[in-house]
Amino acid sequence: MRRAGEGRRLPPRRRPDRRLVSAMMLFFFSAFFLIALKGELRWQGFALALVVPALIYVATMGLPRFFPADKLLLAIANFLCALGVLVLYSTDLDAGTSRGLQQAVYYSTGIVAMLFCILLVRYVRRWKFLIRLVVLGAAALLALPLAIGTEQNGAINWINLGGTSLQPSEIVKIALLLILSYYMSRRQFWAWLLFAGYCLGVLMLQKDLGTALIYYTTTLLLFFSSTGNLPLTGLGLVGGAGAAVLGYRMFAHVKKRVAVWQNPWMYYETSGYQIAQILMAIASGGLFGVGLGLGAPRVIPVYFTDCIFAVICEQFGIIFGVLVLVMYVILILRGTSIAVSARHSFHALLAMGATLMLGVQTFVIIGGVLKLIPLTGVTMPFVSYGGTSLVSCMGLIGLLQGVASINQDDFAYDYEISHSLSEELTLPNAEG
Amino acid sequence: MKQLRSRFRVMTLLVVGLLFVAGLYGVYSVTIYGSRWFSNSKNTRYQAARRTVIAGDIIDRNGVVLATTDADGERVYQSAIKARKATVHLIGDRDGNVANGVDSFQANYLLGFETSLSERVAALLKGETRRGDDVTLTADSKLCAKIVSAFDTNAQTKGKSGGAVVMNYRTGEILALVSLPVFDPQNITQADQENPQHPFWNRALQSTLAPGSTFKIITAASALENLEGITSHLFLCTGATQVMDQTIRDYNLAQHGSLTLEKAFTVSCNNAFAQCALILTDANLRRTAENFGFNDNFLFRDIVVENSVYPTTNRNAVEIAWSGVGQSQIGATPLHMCMVGAAIANDGVMMEPRLIARVKSPSGTVRVRYVPKEYRRAVPTGIADVLQSYMQNVVASGTGSAARVTGLTIAGKTGSAEASVNGEDVTNAWFVGYIADDALPYACCVLVESGGSGGGVAAPIAATIFKYLKDNYGD
Repeated sequence: MRRAGEGRRLPPRRRPDRRLVSAMMLFFFSAFFLIALKGELRWQGFALALVVPALIYVATMGLPRFFPADKLLLAIANFLCALGVLVLYSTDLDAGTSRGLQQAVYYSTGIVAMLFCILLVRYVRRWKFLIRLVVLGAAALLALPLAIGTEQNGAINWINLGGTSLQPSEIVKIALLLILSYYMSRRQFWAWLLFAGYCLGVLMLQKDLGTALIYYTTTLLLFFSSTGNLPLTGLGLVGGAGAAVLGYRMFAHVKKRVAVWQNPWMYYETSGYQIAQILMAIASGGLFGVGLGLGAPRVIPVYFTDCIFAVICEQFGIIFGVLVLVMYVILILRGTSIAVSARHSFHALLAMGATLMLGVQTFVIIGGVLKLIPLTGVTMPFVSYGGTSLVSCMGLIGLLQGVASINQDDFAYDYEISHSLSEELTLPNAEG
Repeated sequence: MKQLRSRFRVMTLLVVGLLFVAGLYGVYSVTIYGSRWFSNSKNTRYQAARRTVIAGDIIDRNGVVLATTDADGERVYQSAIKARKATVHLIGDRDGNVANGVDSFQANYLLGFETSLSERVAALLKGETRRGDDVTLTADSKLCAKIVSAFDTNAQTKGKSGGAVVMNYRTGEILALVSLPVFDPQNITQADQENPQHPFWNRALQSTLAPGSTFKIITAASALENLEGITSHLFLCTGATQVMDQTIRDYNLAQHGSLTLEKAFTVSCNNAFAQCALILTDANLRRTAENFGFNDNFLFRDIVVENSVYPTTNRNAVEIAWSGVGQSQIGATPLHMCMVGAAIANDGVMMEPRLIARVKSPSGTVRVRYVPKEYRRAVPTGIADVLQSYMQNVVASGTGSAARVTGLTIAGKTGSAEASVNGEDVTNAWFVGYIADDALPYACCVLVESGGSGGGVAAPIAATIFKYLKDNYGD
């Protein structure tokens, strides 16, 4: 008996991931090529037009050959990284800076960091000893700026190591997630609480309130995810709110932040300048933007890190800005799906923690730039200029990919077992 | 594990929901406030655009070119110095000292940001420098100059700060919008910069001051709307009304005896209106004020104006009594008070103030044309009719007699509002009025800061305005 359609030739197999990646590579190639024609930094632009698509290709098509990966997640993370390079390069024009090129170097470092984290999650089976090392290492690293740190924008959270500066609190994010999910999955309440409390204390001492907010929120959300303990979560929430109110009462600059958030124009000459410039930039972009490489993004203070979303909105328009938000949403949804498919609670919590951390950080900075909440100085994941930030975000993606690869191995194993079982079971029947 | 997964989903929903709110808020605020943020005088972007685009002309309703771009790309304002100075707050200046003048608030037209792609390509092919759109205003620059000279020629108002607005109460078109002191945009001097009267400040749109007795229009409207039989109620004015620990007195310590609402409106009796506010209760008075646009976020298309305030906190009997006569913490701009008078004249309907008659592209296509738009209904028609007769009485036989013009029926309300400037008590003179004639449907508001009595100082300037309208706009 012939089954329907058996005789017809099947159409060639579609590879949606390949198309998506090709589109991304074409987008970035043409974008870099076009601004390279315009500016004076030609060779940089032409180099980036080749290097960035190549990096995208390596990260999204090359890596998955060695182990199973979530390609959509990879594609989105890489798109955002490349977008950062593009926007930074476009602001370099006529400014004499070379942040775009620098960011491309950071991007490749980020890919290496992602690979490292994938391998870490995929191949380390005995965490018991390693996690103690991580605790000690992370604790020491986080406290380092207090001893040898330098101050930037009021916070002491940078250290200089042999010519390169480093923000330990970014790297420790990965350690925090490993530690939280390890101890939470083993229900060792005090172990993780002590570490998280230590981190928050040190960050407060460094006056790095933005990062402290992200550490705190991620820990609280992950705690609720792991236990479902509403009373304790509520207590944590009340404690956080109490600390916020206390901070508002005690620190004049926190008060000022809130006042500026309510009416930036009133404080234009002083502390409202940044938000006002952000709003003017976004408004100048309108729905469809002024165009790549155009506009005046450099009037916004720290346009290359915290406020880079305003630059994106000015050049590409608010609609594109919303689409970038949608990409983060897809990233979060993929991350959740990885967490939900994990077999071990350690892996599940690790994936969920990485997802929540990225989501919270995205909301804190984009909500701040759009004046929905007071602006807090944190970086926009993947896009903002900065090596440590990019490395830590790609590290988080690495954690997610590591868990995803284990999930897929597990699925494949299950499939094999069930397949061989069914073969065993059906064989006698077939013979008979 | 199963519970863990469902909690994961809840957490994700929470974070995704927050991002969704952020995106929605972003799109909402760009749509609502985008043009205001963009045209802010602090925005360096359109100043940069001036270098590459020839800014379009600004023309008044009679075809007078108020601002143009010369051969060197420099912005120049009209050569008649009096009118140039009088329209400086309306138009703005090159350096962005005046906030939200037409030159900056309409920059998206004037600098060709609304130019379509095909028009840009056409200009590129012809090798021409791109030119912005021309904006024609509803304003009359001669009338603006007339108002400034009226301020200057009168000894009582010479050198005083103030503002005046003239609008068509049927359509909302603004004919004049003046703020004093004025300055010359072609030649901004050190004295202008250091003048303690802040000439760059646009008082007609940015000063929210206590409207004083002109607010009695709203108190009376509220009484007519909420209190049955109030027209026959008799108030007693002994010259002083004790409310808690404060005494409310009349301007010049007048005593009016027993009087009706109509009479109290005509002679502007504070005692009667303070008592009236207390009978009305704060909630009723506030509702009426909000119907007139107080506490609303004004987002008019052509004009940026400060929001008016009817206070919502610290409402004890003293504050409520003072609210009845437009004091307390009530604040309104001359433009808004002009709209209040115009709403009464227009049978209770408040029109949106409009300043742009049309926007024309260099190739001659009309991009925007003036369309009258209703802003809100302030009071029912019946009550507006009663108030019209009250306001006519004010000019015919009350405090506003100085606004009379022979051959015209004028209606109005005076105000002498107490304010404090640098700790010194001053009286701001207000007059809100209109011509009760369908052929000349114009309302005006005049404010003279530290001027003294509204009837004595502000009303004569209104009379000059009405006379000008009669001579130039009548048949």
